Amino acid sequence: MAHLDVSFFSSALKKNAEITVILPSVSADDYLFIDDHPDYYNPETKFQTLYLLHGSYGDFMDWGLLTSIYRYAQENCVAVVMPSGENSSYLTMRHGEDYLRFISEELPAYCTTLFPLSTKREDTFIAGLSMGGYGAYRAALEHPEKYAAVASLSGNLDKAEQKSIGNHVNKMPLNYRRATMGDDLSIKGTDDDLRVLLKKRIDAGCELPKMYHTIGDEDFLRADGENFLAYAKELGVDIEYHVHPGVHNWIFWDRYIQDVLAWLPLKKDMVK
Amino acid sequence: MAYIKTHFFSTALCFGTDINVFIPTPDADELLTGKKNDYFVPGVKYQVLYLLHGAYGDYTDWLHLTSIERYAQDHKLAVIMPSAANSFYQNMNYGSDYLTYISEELPKFCEANFPISTKREDTFVAGLSMGGYGALKIALERPDKFSCAASLSGAIDLDAVIGMLGSMPGSPFDYAALFGDKKVAGSDADLFQMIKDLKAAGKPLPKVYQAIGTEDFLYEANQSAKQKLEALGVDLTYEEGPGIHNWIFWDAYIQRALNWLPLKNAPL
Repeated sequence: MAHLDVSFFSSALKKNAEITVILPSVSADDYLFIDDHPDYYNPETKFQTLYLLHGSYGDFMDWGLLTSIYRYAQENCVAVVMPSGENSSYLTMRHGEDYLRFISEELPAYCTTLFPLSTKREDTFIAGLSMGGYGAYRAALEHPEKYAAVASLSGNLDKAEQKSIGNHVNKMPLNYRRATMGDDLSIKGTDDDLRVLLKKRIDAGCELPKMYHTIGDEDFLRADGENFLAYAKELGVDIEYHVHPGVHNWIFWDRYIQDVLAWLPLKKDMVK
Repeated sequence: MAYIKTHFFSTALCFGTDINVFIPTPDADELLTGKKNDYFVPGVKYQVLYLLHGAYGDYTDWLHLTSIERYAQDHKLAVIMPSAANSFYQNMNYGSDYLTYISEELPKFCEANFPISTKREDTFVAGLSMGGYGALKIALERPDKFSCAASLSGAIDLDAVIGMLGSMPGSPFDYAALFGDKKVAGSDADLFQMIKDLKAAGKPLPKVYQAIGTEDFLYEANQSAKQKLEALGVDLTYEEGPGIHNWIFWDAYIQRALNWLPLKNAPL
């Protein structure tokens, strides 16, 4: 597959954005063994695309370095776009960058223009881990018309409540949290509260993306996630949910991103 | 400007290789001044320049040692910079098929994956020194693909350059690896022979830009090249100026080469 390190000036962030993009392409295995591999360079076809978000303290390199996402992308013939969101939770910072607009508007616009990515909703997916699981849901519910499916791995889905996160949250510098959420350090009741946003979209009759959440049985965010899932169920939304042995680490994410890919409606081929 | 460092497996080379790519995108100046910020839209295509390094070089040279990114943004031109080791852009006798990689596989890969025009009139190749020769070699190999080729301080008259360099100490070139037993003159490594063959076959020739520093050790070899290109009726633009075989000259003259190219200075 082709690995692309990309940087461009982002008007949403008002600074350069660095992203990593994986495009399936003729691999050595294709060349050696697979006569009927996809016609990767057909100018008439595009790739299905997964936007894949890192967690707190991470960046655009994490998934590439700490999992085998390159191999999984090639096997599934899906393009993967990995941006950076700092520690912003991928929302519009109260004082700072507009990561929500960057992730859910500018990034797809740029990537579908720069690269051969399908612009169709049915071919566009977003997922992330921990903070990025929250961010994936935040973006997908901001623009449910863009994403056919959203997946959270160990995601902080009940960020507005944050009952089980414990002392971890205090490790994040206070001035950064204030920049992200404002002086009261709360997003409760705003569109950044996934409970609020989900209800808003349901009330408006939006077609929601398919939703998936997976977490380790010993993960400190497990209870928060289950609280959110219970609330979603009250609203009539069944989020596909899987608990597996594990904690909040890359062993879990490398293993279960593969389940996410198996769950996504991937064609394992180029699309029109 | 989007800067895209790309790594992929080349079936021509049978190993992974890197390219650097620039695609014009709205920049901070345009955001600040509110001007010209509307060109990067779905379906946009750019004219494209394949830009080749010299001996001892690789795909990072032009990026590091000139301001090509700024010039490309100004011209709204996509730029693609591959690596070809010290191959002289040949399918080597002992070695790898860099000619096939750059003239066949690379355009196919880039046209599929980046928003660049596939038209001959929008597709150009340039290079310095070994890559100046390479630019012409690739354009003559694929006259259907490339409409213009620019050589900066290029070893266009390869036979004369080899005769001059011989087996100079520190030379990166293993001529047996590059060419085997064949003599360059009159072979498919001889650009003038390639031009004769294309003319005989009634194929279109690329337009050629040739620049050389008057103190460059390849100055004399560029004079013989100029005479031969002119005698063959090539549409040639020749420029010379004070300078030697270095990046000061190439940074200056790539800008002149860009001004020579039929650039629209806008997306297509």
